[in-house]
Amino acid sequence: MTQNVPRFAHGSRVPGWDDAVDLSKPPAVVPDPATTPVPETLRSAIEAAMGKYPDRRSAAIPALHLAQAEHGWLSPAAIAQVAAVMRLTPAYLTSVASFYDMFSLVPKASNDVFVCTNISCSLRGADEFYAAMQAAAEGEDVDVREFECLGACDIAPMASVNGEFVGPLTPDDADRIVRDLATGGPVLEHKQLRYRRCADPGVALEAGDFGPPDPAATELADTAGLGPHGDAADRPGPSAPIELDAEEEDASG
Amino acid sequence: MPRPEQKTIKLTIDGREVPAIEGAMLVDAAKHADVEIPYFCYEPKLGNPVGACRMCLVEIEGIPKLQTSCSTPVKDGMVVNTHTDRVRGAQNAIVEFLLINHPLDCPVCDKGGECPLQDITFGWGLGRSRMLEPKRHFVKPLALSPLVAIDRERCILCYRCVRFSQEISEDYQLIFAERGAHTFVGTHDGHPYVAPFSGNIIELCPVGALTSQPYRFRARPWEIEGAAGICTLCPSQCNVTFTVRDEKVLRVLARDHEEVDDGWLCDKGRFAYQAIHVDERITQPMVREGDELVPVSWERALSEAAGLAKHKGRTAALVGGQATNEEGFLLQRLLREGLDSHDLDCRGGAPVAVELARALAAPALQATVPDLEFAHTVLLVGAEPLDAAPILDLRIRKGVRRHGVRLGILSARPSSLDPNAGFVMRFDAGEEASALAALDLALAEDRGAAEPGSAELAEFLRAGGEDLVIVWSERLAPEALPHLLSIAGRLNLAGRSGAGLLELPAGANGRGLREAGVLPNAGPGYVEPPAAGRGAAEIAVAAASGEVTALYLLQIDPVRELPDRAAWEAALQHAPLVVAHASVLTEGLREHATVIFPAESYAEKDGTVVHPDGRLQRLRTAIAHPGAIRAGWQVIADVSKRAGLDQRLLTGPMAFKALAAAVPFYAGLTLEAIGGRGVRWPATEAAAAMPAADGSGTATVPPPPARPASANGALRLGRYRSIWAAPEVELSPALHFTIAEQLVELSPEDAERLGIGNGAAITVAQNGTRLAARAAIRTGVPAGSAFLADGIAAESANALTAPLVEVTPA
Amino acid sequence: MKILFGRIDEPGLNTLAVYERRGGYAALRRALEMEPAEIVEEISKSGLRGRGGAGFPTGRKASFLPKGDMDKYLVCNADESEPGTFKDRELMQKSPHMLIEGIVIACWAAGITRAFIYIRGEYEHQARILEAAIAEAARAGYLGERILGSEHTMSLVLHRGAGAYICGEETGLLDSLEGKRGNPRLKPPFPAIEGLYHGPTLINNVETLATIPHIVTMGGEAYAEHGVANSAGTKLVSVSGDVRRPGNYEIELGTPSREIIFDLAGGTFDGREVMLWFPGGSSSPVLTKDDLDIPYDFDSMAKAGTMLGSGAIIVVDDSHHPLEVALKLAKFYSHESCGKCVPCREGTTWTYKMLQRIETGEATPMDLDIMASVQEQIIGNCLCVLGDAMAMPVGSIVQKFRAPLEQAIEAARARHDSGALEHVVATTDFVGGARVADEHAGPAG
Repeated sequence: MTQNVPRFAHGSRVPGWDDAVDLSKPPAVVPDPATTPVPETLRSAIEAAMGKYPDRRSAAIPALHLAQAEHGWLSPAAIAQVAAVMRLTPAYLTSVASFYDMFSLVPKASNDVFVCTNISCSLRGADEFYAAMQAAAEGEDVDVREFECLGACDIAPMASVNGEFVGPLTPDDADRIVRDLATGGPVLEHKQLRYRRCADPGVALEAGDFGPPDPAATELADTAGLGPHGDAADRPGPSAPIELDAEEEDASG
Repeated sequence: MPRPEQKTIKLTIDGREVPAIEGAMLVDAAKHADVEIPYFCYEPKLGNPVGACRMCLVEIEGIPKLQTSCSTPVKDGMVVNTHTDRVRGAQNAIVEFLLINHPLDCPVCDKGGECPLQDITFGWGLGRSRMLEPKRHFVKPLALSPLVAIDRERCILCYRCVRFSQEISEDYQLIFAERGAHTFVGTHDGHPYVAPFSGNIIELCPVGALTSQPYRFRARPWEIEGAAGICTLCPSQCNVTFTVRDEKVLRVLARDHEEVDDGWLCDKGRFAYQAIHVDERITQPMVREGDELVPVSWERALSEAAGLAKHKGRTAALVGGQATNEEGFLLQRLLREGLDSHDLDCRGGAPVAVELARALAAPALQATVPDLEFAHTVLLVGAEPLDAAPILDLRIRKGVRRHGVRLGILSARPSSLDPNAGFVMRFDAGEEASALAALDLALAEDRGAAEPGSAELAEFLRAGGEDLVIVWSERLAPEALPHLLSIAGRLNLAGRSGAGLLELPAGANGRGLREAGVLPNAGPGYVEPPAAGRGAAEIAVAAASGEVTALYLLQIDPVRELPDRAAWEAALQHAPLVVAHASVLTEGLREHATVIFPAESYAEKDGTVVHPDGRLQRLRTAIAHPGAIRAGWQVIADVSKRAGLDQRLLTGPMAFKALAAAVPFYAGLTLEAIGGRGVRWPATEAAAAMPAADGSGTATVPPPPARPASANGALRLGRYRSIWAAPEVELSPALHFTIAEQLVELSPEDAERLGIGNGAAITVAQNGTRLAARAAIRTGVPAGSAFLADGIAAESANALTAPLVEVTPA
Repeated sequence: MKILFGRIDEPGLNTLAVYERRGGYAALRRALEMEPAEIVEEISKSGLRGRGGAGFPTGRKASFLPKGDMDKYLVCNADESEPGTFKDRELMQKSPHMLIEGIVIACWAAGITRAFIYIRGEYEHQARILEAAIAEAARAGYLGERILGSEHTMSLVLHRGAGAYICGEETGLLDSLEGKRGNPRLKPPFPAIEGLYHGPTLINNVETLATIPHIVTMGGEAYAEHGVANSAGTKLVSVSGDVRRPGNYEIELGTPSREIIFDLAGGTFDGREVMLWFPGGSSSPVLTKDDLDIPYDFDSMAKAGTMLGSGAIIVVDDSHHPLEVALKLAKFYSHESCGKCVPCREGTTWTYKMLQRIETGEATPMDLDIMASVQEQIIGNCLCVLGDAMAMPVGSIVQKFRAPLEQAIEAARARHDSGALEHVVATTDFVGGARVADEHAGPAG
């Protein structure tokens, strides 16, 4: 009866429904700091996060982000470390972590590719790209996940590669993404959202009369607006096509 | 925070105008007006409503959307409809949604017959389903802990169990994992949900998802009866309902009493009922023949016990915490009036001067349990409620969480309430007298002289408001008590409602036994006894030296329960006659008792006990006495009669009458008045009859000299008694996993210095006595102190008597 | 007229130097010379309505906050996760100081000393930019103690989420910001009375807050001159789906929808025409090609039975089937349902399963009736609006595209020809409900 029973196909990341507890384990109470070693950088980063809020528990999500970055995934040990610093039970953090899609309670590859398959992207061919991406990542250190709308439907179909938004994607881009990740360089640089200019034609007209900023004036000059090398010539421009023509639409859809 | 005032308003429900308390939730107001609104997730005991199940939707005029009546406070003039087509439609829909993934396996479900989901489906559902898709199926049942089984198919995600774990017991081990339809109840990484109050989730579950491992499939609801009782496994004296089938207790449920337990039970109270029906239970009298205790007739046992008459003036009695007021009262009368003996005690420690005892027990100075919830400030002095009276731990948490009570903790050992406290001050193990003296000094006028920590604590106590409750433990050294009394005086706790002292006695009925006169220096009602006698420690010495020749042990094995194990072994060894009432043969009795009477369990007794806040509560016989067991009061009366003192008793209620006649401040109390909810005598008029303290207790006492500081790396010995350290726990199969071992709590500093890792095997030694133990490194333990477990079956700390111990890796 | 997007593509606008050079933080200086009540008054006069989805008048929302000396909070909702919406992303990435300036002014106006920006976890790049901008603003004295020498003192903390649609719901966001699972809370109490850490809390969308400096600069009445009655000002509209130029466009409210979809976004591809479109994100009831001339403003959309929502237009052309859209919606909302309340958790999942049965050829037209009735049972009965957010568009698709859905049912049955339907028919008593004959539906042993 309990074998091969139908399950939801989508979304569940943690096995657990069918799991009993291990009665030989002790209860998971708040870990005593005296008996739970925590890497010093992680501890101080979590403590800094706790200091930003009136209630230290607010730092749970930032702390879990930090622990996931440190350990690659939210292993029971990683959660116990956060719990020891934050003086919470590991269960509290497990409960929080499992609510959010970006946390992984199972081991995963070190590169994340979140492929948006929500409505706007799927209209533009996201499901085909997702299949291609999965195939390309086979056997690589790349974790491909179907994701809900990532808020970049202007470059649909798109994906977030280690946090970098790229699109519009075609199935051919999947191999390139895997290659770029392997070499450690920028991923699909010509399709990165950060270099894209606003679609509104009124903006282009009114913004046209400004000169480039002085890169020496601020260390932030290259985080947006400027090209990857701070080159004025690379300033916002349609490095990705804004307008898709019909042939391309037919090819991808 | 003071209690809110209540105002009555009127509203209209289904066309009928009904009164209600302003601010009450609509669902409750409707219930009082005989209108039933169905719900699953609502449970006022759990705090603010969550509105998750949506079962209680009703129509309120003026609001376009249907509203959840569990979260809508009533207002004057509100017009509510609970039976319109729209409301019906919503109710039908919610039931249909709930049953989508519910397996409907009622015929094989343990909850069947007492299941809210069954009832509500029947009452408010459409009776059919339009769902064609396959239901989800999971492996079931699964263990959630040794006590609780979980069936995730049946779970309707009502939030009750996880809210309990998170907001009531605050252990935060039971959680929702995942999101949406994938949400499930679980724990972190497969750890079991083991926590002192975990069993409450079984009672909270509105479906058959959480079931009791010991109760599963033992009975159907139509085969059982409920019998009201009191749990006397600890001083909390929670009100319970025994589930009885064929004269056996199969389950214990909470019988909500807001002024006692707030509707919760600890796992000891919920599961240790199993000890009532174990093979080890003594069910007939026994006498010693040679090395053996052999079963005998009552006639034989009673006549052996009547041999006490030959020990006039040389008999001593000890009474355990589970004895009723009547049993204690009759026994002290037997000793004092029948045997001309005055050596008796219900306490384990050194005696407290009678003036001081009276002053600390003065009715004007007694706080109540609800005061813990509504006080401005609560101070714990050397008390760990989780171990001493677990249910009060929940009450203090509730006060802090919901009413902003400021919690201060003054203790040697870290408390489970430390994280909830606004002020924590540690002293070295055994230094409570100095710590209280310092606080007393800081509260006195000449503040400048106070030590910094004590001065801050004094400020903390004064800053919050006048309603201040001090919770203290009987385990405090007697020399600390004059300071405690003086502190109470300086904070004006006397006579103020909402403020006062609350003592946590060591024994479940510690307070009642003292009031019944089971003290060496006070008779019933704290009156002057005909002659002062010896206290427990002196009795041990006197018995060993032959000055006391007979011992009457009423539900106590001093070798197990009292300090200085070796002294008690010697005492029992030397006493020619040892009469004991006992449920099981603990080691002291097995070796040394000469007559054993089978003792009643708390489900069998008929009598009264007194809650730490002065509430007399009544035990009623819930099940027939197993085997040949007879009522305790009756046995004492029979022994008494045979020993020459006819106490003229034919029934249990007559014993209560005799007690009430002897204790001045019980005047006018009747069993009928006590009934199922109890009566707090300090709040009655008769309380004025409590003998007043003459003031000698409050005289300024110089602070005691500090005890020798630890030398040569020796650690100060502190003691704790775990909630689980009880014979009943050891006897209950379901609780075997909790059996307490000798766990020595060490500070991280000392552990490092001594080269001891967490969980390592260690040896604790003192004057040639050695205990094998395991180390538990605990942040918050003051460096230089070590805490050892008392009251456990093996390697108990009561073998140690000196203030310092050597701790070494084994 | 561009108010928010005027200089949005200027290189380096994300830096304080460029932002200041173009007049940034002048509105703040001016606001700090005004009485807080005057600012609220100006905002009320501007007619600005919340840009996050609900469209509640911003000035009135601020006035709900109790007066007095207590810890009050402002939370900027930057959890832009409504499918089809990406306007706040562009604003935060390119002009973060505009948002910060708006927050500082709003805090001054409402007597708030602690502000948070809750940004969705997936916006890593935007979070880095905001973090840097906050640091720059603090160094320049636009945040912190006695801002620009005034009485105004406040802190601003950027808080990253971790991937949950429901955290865009304001009370779910508050729980998430408090470090909990992002479950929505019961209302009342409303956040303005009891919100973050039990304190009065003002929650506003990024675009709303970014508009405030402009209202202070131009005056409320001047702002109200843009747009139409009851829908004042300009609005950022995210257009996506089957259009040639997907992207963000700043329009005056009241602009005909056709103009936005066709003139600005380039319209559908050659040979295609609009089948259906969402006017305000995937939660809004769908419109058809007959509705393209409806003016894009709050009231006109409400009159058409839908809503402006977050201002995200998703266009679906006739190369797609409405079933495809309904399936995506149901799958998304059942995945994002927090699971707290019954109708949403069970209703979204059940709807998804029913739609899947159409695809697998196991459905009958009667299922469309059940589906419609289930949507009705969800709407209005949930704890928050997520359930409604699925039920409204799915309900409208079932209603408006019944014929194609029935055709899809027939086609799938023919395609699968599996006898699956016969199995359903054989095991189901359609009058009395499901018979428990299916091996999966039977009680567990």
